[in-house]
Amino acid sequence: MIRDVDVAVIGGGSAGLAAAVMASRQGARVMLLERQGFLGGMGTASLVHTFCGLYLLSSAPDAEMANPGFPSEMAGRMIAATGLGPIRMGRLDVLPQHPADFVRIADELVKAESSLTVQWHTEVVGVRKNEGRWEIDWSCRGSLGKTLSTVIVDASGDAVTAPWIGAAHEVAPRLQRPAYVFGIQGVRSFPDERRLQLAGMLVEGIRAGVLSKAALGLSFRPSGRPGELFGTLDLAGEESGSIYDPLDPVGLSALEAEGRRVASGVVACLREMDPEWRAAFVSQWPARAGIRESRRWVGRVCLTGAQIEAGSRFEDEIALATWPMELRENTRGPKWRFPVEDRPTGIPLDCLRIPDHDDFFVAGRCISVDHEAQASIRVMGTCFSTGQAAGLAAAMKAGGGEPTASSMRRIAGS
Amino acid sequence: MSEKVDGITVIGWLRSEEILMLEEGFSVQDDLFLAGLDSMAVMQLVVAAEERFGVQLQAVDLTKENLGTAESLAALIDEHRA
Ligand SMILES: Cc1cc2nc3c(=O)[nH]c(=O)nc-3n(C[C@H](O)[C@H](O)[C@H](O)COP(=O)(O)OP(=O)(O)OC[C@H]3O[C@@H](n4cnc5c(N)ncnc54)[C@H](O)[C@@H]3O)c2cc1C
Repeated sequence: MIRDVDVAVIGGGSAGLAAAVMASRQGARVMLLERQGFLGGMGTASLVHTFCGLYLLSSAPDAEMANPGFPSEMAGRMIAATGLGPIRMGRLDVLPQHPADFVRIADELVKAESSLTVQWHTEVVGVRKNEGRWEIDWSCRGSLGKTLSTVIVDASGDAVTAPWIGAAHEVAPRLQRPAYVFGIQGVRSFPDERRLQLAGMLVEGIRAGVLSKAALGLSFRPSGRPGELFGTLDLAGEESGSIYDPLDPVGLSALEAEGRRVASGVVACLREMDPEWRAAFVSQWPARAGIRESRRWVGRVCLTGAQIEAGSRFEDEIALATWPMELRENTRGPKWRFPVEDRPTGIPLDCLRIPDHDDFFVAGRCISVDHEAQASIRVMGTCFSTGQAAGLAAAMKAGGGEPTASSMRRIAGS
Repeated sequence: MSEKVDGITVIGWLRSEEILMLEEGFSVQDDLFLAGLDSMAVMQLVVAAEERFGVQLQAVDLTKENLGTAESLAALIDEHRA
């Protein structure tokens, strides 16, 4: 059966979820196509466990939301679920989030929308324009299906549709590195002071030849649930021996295998070295390694790192980017670039639009920005905002209107 | 006998190894943890200290007191060189 909808959203990560929910709230008939069996993308499948970019950068004591609408709603629901509020890290406020809560919240959000259909286990494999409408080919368990739509939102994270429709796209020569996040349970206690000693034990493990040097990319964070930690292992992405290419199955496969190998080794090593870790075990593997940056759209305008640094504002901005540029071009931790005077930057609507197609919008970590700016806008708080904007724009367009940034800001703020 | 390691040397070294991005005017008594020293940076620091100063810092050495400032870190490294 061929489904016919107003708006098709490709990919249900933080951006696609926001886009699908907001488009359906405008009355559009929406289909969300997602290859996993749950929503949330990196925030669930890859166990990324904090929402960054939700709040304005500031030294004021209280965290202040940067964008109204879906990001604020998501923050409220997550706080209600975890019981944890934003945590101040220097001038940055981050909201702890738990992937298991994220999955459930996303389920509730989509269930509440009667004009939204979610189709899981559906991998989009082709897109083309036919007689003024979009034809979307997908594959599910060996069968191929088709969805027709008036408007498309690409929230795939990897700009998967760009090559199919012959649209401009790019991959930066030196990408942000990937990371492997996994769950740990059975650690008796994890006081803050202990982190330093654990770091020392890992170096001792490397010196003794028990652990590989890749363990230097590891850090731990309590999940907020009793006895549970997340380990995050920054990897070079070159484990297969070739240069890092997040779109290449051979490189991705080596990344997954290496993530699990190093993580298992570390937990085994700490079980021996630290009495508090005697009963520790890996309790959860991610569905996939975490990818920070891959293929991006080259849209109508391209937001640059220099504009983020200056805190540029635009007439047609649809959201504010507030996270500083967090560069992770190696496995040695973040290098930060803050905007002058902690200013927020406007994201123009045209970063979500592509040349030649008025009925196509993009959202999330693959919008039209340069490599440096992507280091700011990739965070989930900002992805909720660009997703929200793409969803609103798509619904307006499908309804025969012309999306304008001012009307979108008005709807998001109401 | 090698020269005594001081806080200024440590600041220059942390910068050049890109372990921490310390602002202009960062002093030997300023808080390294506030400047971003986290567990991952500590691991790099331990590895880099072995290469640069020939010292093998142990897990027990890695306390808030020892790592808190460039001055205290210099003293720790010095102690291990003795
Ligand atoms: C290790 C790591 C740590 C991070 N830390 C933080 C952090 O602390 N805080 C923060 O806010 N952000 C963090 N980020 C960034 C953030 O997690 C991501 O940039 C963000 O989640 C991207 O959201 P997205 O919706 O654009 O894409 P994704 O989350 O990648 O979602 C894309 C979705 O599309 C689906 N999809 C893709 N192709 C297809 C297809 N062909 N058919 C059907 N479905 C498809 C995918 O399955 C996925 O669900 C981190 C990222 C990584 C990798």
